[in-house]
Amino acid sequence: MADKPKQTVILQTSDDEQFTVEKAVAERSAMIKSMMEDLGDQEGMPIPLPNVSSSVLTKILEYCDHHKNEPLPAPDASDADDSRRRTSEIGEWDARWIQVDQEMLFEIILAANYLDIKPLLDVGCKTVANMIKGKTPEEIRKLFNITNDFTPEEEEQIRKENEWAEE
Amino acid sequence: MHYGMSYSYYILLFTTVYDFCTQPGKAGASSFSTTRGGASLQGADLYRSLHNWLSEHCKDMREESEKLSDLDLLKYYATQWDRFTTGARYVNKLFNYLNKHWVKREKDEGRKEVYTVYTLALVAWKQNFFKHFTGPGGMSRLTQAILRQIEQQRNGEAIDSGLLKKVIDSYVSLGLDEADAQRQNLDVYREYFQIPFLTTTEQYYNAESSAFVGSNSVSDYMKKAEVRLQEEADRVNLYLHDSTRADLKTKCEAALIGDHQELMWGEFQSLLDTDRRDDLARMYSLLSRILGGLDPLRVKFGEHVKKAGQAAVEKVLPAPGAVSETGKAETLDPKAYIEALLEVHSKFTEVVEGPFRAEMGFNKSLDQACRDFCNANAACTTSTRSPELLASYCDQLLRKSNKDLDAESLEAALNQTMIIFKFIDDKDVFQKFYQKKLAQRLVGSLSASDDSESSMITKLKEVSGFDYTNKLQRMFTDVNLSRDLSERFKEKERTQSVSADIDFQPLVLGTNFWPLAPQQTDFSIPREIQATYDRFTTFHNEVHQGRKLTWLWHVSKNELRTTYLSQKYIFMTSSYQMAILTQFNENDTLTYREILTGTKISENILKPQLTLLVKAKVLLQEGENYDLNLNFKSKKIRVQLNQAVRSEQKAEAKEVLQAVDEDRKFIYQATIVRLMKGRKTMQHQALIQDVTTQISAKFTPKIPEIKKAIDYLIDKEYLERAADSNNTYNYLA
Repeated sequence: MADKPKQTVILQTSDDEQFTVEKAVAERSAMIKSMMEDLGDQEGMPIPLPNVSSSVLTKILEYCDHHKNEPLPAPDASDADDSRRRTSEIGEWDARWIQVDQEMLFEIILAANYLDIKPLLDVGCKTVANMIKGKTPEEIRKLFNITNDFTPEEEEQIRKENEWAEE
Repeated sequence: MHYGMSYSYYILLFTTVYDFCTQPGKAGASSFSTTRGGASLQGADLYRSLHNWLSEHCKDMREESEKLSDLDLLKYYATQWDRFTTGARYVNKLFNYLNKHWVKREKDEGRKEVYTVYTLALVAWKQNFFKHFTGPGGMSRLTQAILRQIEQQRNGEAIDSGLLKKVIDSYVSLGLDEADAQRQNLDVYREYFQIPFLTTTEQYYNAESSAFVGSNSVSDYMKKAEVRLQEEADRVNLYLHDSTRADLKTKCEAALIGDHQELMWGEFQSLLDTDRRDDLARMYSLLSRILGGLDPLRVKFGEHVKKAGQAAVEKVLPAPGAVSETGKAETLDPKAYIEALLEVHSKFTEVVEGPFRAEMGFNKSLDQACRDFCNANAACTTSTRSPELLASYCDQLLRKSNKDLDAESLEAALNQTMIIFKFIDDKDVFQKFYQKKLAQRLVGSLSASDDSESSMITKLKEVSGFDYTNKLQRMFTDVNLSRDLSERFKEKERTQSVSADIDFQPLVLGTNFWPLAPQQTDFSIPREIQATYDRFTTFHNEVHQGRKLTWLWHVSKNELRTTYLSQKYIFMTSSYQMAILTQFNENDTLTYREILTGTKISENILKPQLTLLVKAKVLLQEGENYDLNLNFKSKKIRVQLNQAVRSEQKAEAKEVLQAVDEDRKFIYQATIVRLMKGRKTMQHQALIQDVTTQISAKFTPKIPEIKKAIDYLIDKEYLERAADSNNTYNYLA
């Protein structure tokens, strides 16, 4: 296997930039992998990714390249039996890699969802979760720049429902 | 259409579905205000449209298909199915996002009738296309078309089985499990195909086999049935679902074999009579497929073997009143008898191992039948006759005079006799006769080889155990011990320089192990051998103090050299003859009375011996006077005068049987005592039963004899009848 010349595919982003990457790297995306299986190799044909920009793809390819030799999660593994997802722990390399600005973070999460890269989606969501942890609603609103659209009554209602969680 | 799809088109479609599902607010206002509101994925519309489109497509196909029937319908259906499922597989991928999120959520929330897109496509196919083939009689037109194809194939026409496989596989695929799409559900296959298929199959073969049997032989029918069964088994491999195999097999076997089993049973006898092994094998393999199909065959086979065995014996039995060339009544030759039994056994062993594949039940029937005809047949008026003949045959084989066989074939022949031995019920009778014959061979040095003798004993030991052959073994040991003893005696004679004018070869044997008893007669030892007699007696008493030496004159052999004739002859005689003839050393003429007093041999033994000598013209009889024939002439130098007396031969068999009866009495008693000693108290019935089982290995016990033995033991106070119940016995220590 190792001796075989590495197959490559061309990915084309929304801003029409082309990336030639190893097939194994591209196939971290379950969506791409599934398509390649269905359509077979179409050498030289770029794969358009209209929902991903080149800056985000560059970042994501770093991740994919780093993880390319890990086993892919089973396509229909249910959330419950995936223990990796049950902790907020993030791997050391991943934690360093995900240190990006908020906008990039959300772009990564969206792209991970679109490309169907489960472990990456997890890393993204855990990062967001860690950001929220221990903060008041007001602080969270401020962090993500959200306007409070609840009426005071609604707010009171929610607080009541969640009383059990407070100390 | 599908392989030409490009990456960009694929991605475009995928992205469209993705965007549709992820764009907030595009869905109708209705879903916005439901509880699933804010985070709800916008899949419902898309899902509904997809469903409608698929349903429409299926309806179009339905319209198209209504114009078609039979083969055309099948072809159209198969082509459409291929296209549709391939397409659906792609659409399923493209709608992956919908599957994973909207459909999944709907299902998690427990909504029925929401499926992943591929399944949705199959559901649409089933609801809008597949279920609308209803033809006359409620059977699907599609299924009817399949069944018509199968019927054509059964009638010998070529059909496209690949096409059938495709259509039938679709039935399997359409069995959708509501709860779990991964699990195979054969409901559709079973309801729409398997049930009608099995019904028509049954009808087809019922009709065919009845018609065929009417105009063809059973043998041809069996060939046909075999071919048909194979065809149907192949059919499952070719294009049916494997789950049909067992049911199809059962139905075909019932129609092709079960319904005609009586016919085959009826034909069995004639197949056996004509020894048609191919047909027998075929019948076996057919009937072995159905429950109880072989039972009547086993019974008939057993009866057939038994009859064949009895017929074979009748063939070798001399016709009543037949006489041989020498004018004696023809007797049954043990060799012919045993060989007849063996031939029947080997022939039917072949049949069992060939056509009947050595099946247990047939082996049992064969064994039982052999046991029956080996113990009771035209030659065996009593159950003791067969063992006697077998022992005689063994004797023939093992005698020196048997020169037809080399060591190897002799061994083979002995192995063959063991086959019959195993079937013999009265093994104790065989033992007694065998022992008698063995004694004769050993005493007379008539054995062909010691190796063969001990090989035979080993075989008997293997079958019947150490006890059975103990005595036979001991007889061998005795002969060897005796050889040593006589060597020592000779040595002593030499050292004491006794002039040995008589060559003396003693055999000293243990009374307990040998079936030899002294005859009831006096015997005056001729003075010619008196000295040797005395010396040996003294010698024996020195070597074995306290042992009683009994001289068995009637089994010893003597050689006398003549001095009174011009030509020297050697007379080979019995001891009685020797005693008579030595009387003539002093006289040429003696009266009967003189001989009687001289030899002291009792009259009933003396007379036949004298007759033999007169017959051989050694003596001349004139009334009461016997003269030595001084003009005796013979072609041979060695003259054999020692011939068995006919009446003695008959008496011998009788003696043996008496000995057997005597032994049996002890066996009955010993078995009863052994059982009672262990149990202390036993019911009459149980006792009889246990005794019977224990003794059966040795011979067939008779219940009156057991009762007699019980009574005897009660008399002797080994047992008593229980006070409270005369049906129970107690053991008295």
